[in-house]
Amino acid sequence: MSVHASAERVARPRVVGGHLERTLWTLVPFGAALLAGALVLLLSGRDPLVTYALLVEQAFGGHIAIGNTLAQTTPVLFTGLATALAFRAGVFNVGVEGSLYLGAFAAAWVGFTFVGAPGPLLLLGAFGTAGLAGAAWSFLPGLLRARWRVDEVVTTLMLNFVAINLTSYLVNGPFLAVGTANSMSPLVDPAARLGSLIPPSQVSIGFVLALGMALGFGVVFGFTALGYELRVSGTSPRFAAASGISIFRVIVVAMLISGLIAGIAGAVQVLGVNGRFIDRFSPGYGFTGIAAALLGRNTALGCVLAALFFGALSNGSAMMQLFTDIPLDLVNVLSGTVMIFAVLDVARLRPRRLREAG
Amino acid sequence: MEVLHNTLVATALVSTPLLLAAMGGLINRQGGIVNIGLEANMLAGALAAVLVTWQTGNPFLGVLAAALAGTVIALPFSLVITRLGANEIIAGLGLNVLVAGLIGYLLPVALGVYGTFRPAGLQRLPRIDIPFVHDIPWIGPILSGKDPVTYLAWLLVPLIAAFLYRTTPGLRLRAAGSDLEAARAAGISAHRWRDLSTVLAGALAGIGGAQLSIGIVGLFGVGMIAGRGFIALAAFYFGAARPWPTAAAALLFGFFDAAQVRLQGQGIPVQLVQLLPYLVVVVTLTVVAITRARREGGVAVA
Repeated sequence: MSVHASAERVARPRVVGGHLERTLWTLVPFGAALLAGALVLLLSGRDPLVTYALLVEQAFGGHIAIGNTLAQTTPVLFTGLATALAFRAGVFNVGVEGSLYLGAFAAAWVGFTFVGAPGPLLLLGAFGTAGLAGAAWSFLPGLLRARWRVDEVVTTLMLNFVAINLTSYLVNGPFLAVGTANSMSPLVDPAARLGSLIPPSQVSIGFVLALGMALGFGVVFGFTALGYELRVSGTSPRFAAASGISIFRVIVVAMLISGLIAGIAGAVQVLGVNGRFIDRFSPGYGFTGIAAALLGRNTALGCVLAALFFGALSNGSAMMQLFTDIPLDLVNVLSGTVMIFAVLDVARLRPRRLREAG
Repeated sequence: MEVLHNTLVATALVSTPLLLAAMGGLINRQGGIVNIGLEANMLAGALAAVLVTWQTGNPFLGVLAAALAGTVIALPFSLVITRLGANEIIAGLGLNVLVAGLIGYLLPVALGVYGTFRPAGLQRLPRIDIPFVHDIPWIGPILSGKDPVTYLAWLLVPLIAAFLYRTTPGLRLRAAGSDLEAARAAGISAHRWRDLSTVLAGALAGIGGAQLSIGIVGLFGVGMIAGRGFIALAAFYFGAARPWPTAAAALLFGFFDAAQVRLQGQGIPVQLVQLLPYLVVVVTLTVVAITRARREGGVAVA
């Protein structure tokens, strides 16, 4: 099917030319996004350069601004890594958003249920349950894909909406906080909250966890047998199967770890930022994560840089919206453009002369 | 009985955006592309319909504008997939984000409103009573008294079925969708047929958006599509991209949509009704795949 033929290209972006040229091509989606943003800004009568400069200043000017940028970077880094891991293994998981919701709810549930438990135990329990919940949520589409070839693109996409509505039900029904009109769970025990990294900004030590996760990602893919199996299965499933790698196991394991990372992302958002589960809290972190994974070419360092880009964009625009009338939606114009341009077949974009020579 | 009747009366009306988008998605799927960007086409259509109807006072021009808006978005989207080899799933998700961003950005800049645009005196699509049918007790109001776009949408179901299965262009479109190389060998310019199917999907989804904005609610809101593009996707997956089963799914999901509004305060959680279409698709795909594996004997491993 056409979906799976193209899934391979997501796992293994087409590479062309030498090292320098490849690096330059990596920047194409980034440049296209800035250009699209500039066009929209021009259309609305604003100077793009001035606006971008203002954006950078709002995102990085001073330690509070930097802290808030890192706070926005954190969830995208997690969801980017979760997506990249699945893509690297050739599994087209677009259901990170769903696992994120399940993980967030699980962490909140532990946090407001076992009030008074010792802090470290509570944190461990919350993170463990969140990771399990996220992994369990992505296990089903993984199993369906591995055992019966049920298209994981469709199942993971659909399960996102199931997860969003399911957690919405939980937090509006059985777990609605007493005395609140809004749809949110009770607050978690203060002992389960993650400390601030750069007070008084919003960034928690969850950012360090995200960086650690990126490091772990790099180590797994660079140095371990598991990483090798995932990578080989993603780039050439036939070769992998021929050399004795169980594709069944690769798909299930990739989905489990991807869901686990997404679940932890949800926990960090609850324990580090909101302090409770809030109905529909994610502005699409799972989908921005896809953009980050693609922009970062499914590598650890790439994801860190891409997440930082989206984090800065999101925080910078939010601040800018406060005192100019430039709508926050500018962020979506840029990230939508990134997604589209990141999946172009770069070989077809090259001038014909180069294509024939290369 | 009263609640059921009210729900059924509303069902045909609220099914229409789903039906149109799903029929578009079905054509696109038969043409070889899984369209995740229907949501974007619908949103653009909904806005175009409100703007043009507001300016001209004619809701039918609004519907035309919506079809055009869907087309204008669908063509470059299709070209990016067919000519530049972009992954259709990611490009579709990206299109949704991009179009929502563009509209969200330009709405306050151009019209000075945030989120919702509700021009005073906005014409709506008229409601048409079908003679005789309208007077049948109980059933009359369920079938009659809808807007013209709704009737048009249902008329399209047999027309699309006939087009796909009984005409040469329909055959070419399906050939281009099922096997690119074979279609090429048969002298069919496959990419062009694929692009045509995407454009048709864009136009139909755009009209679906128009029916929602100027047929049902009478305003434009940036969040008004609210996942209907994905429910349409669920409908044509549920219907295995065949016209009548897809239409039936759109009607069923429309019924859920109509029911959840009326079940509020009746003890049935709205959210659990809202997740049904998505769950139904996952279950359907699973059942189909397991049945296929059983029939083929043995278990397919990856």
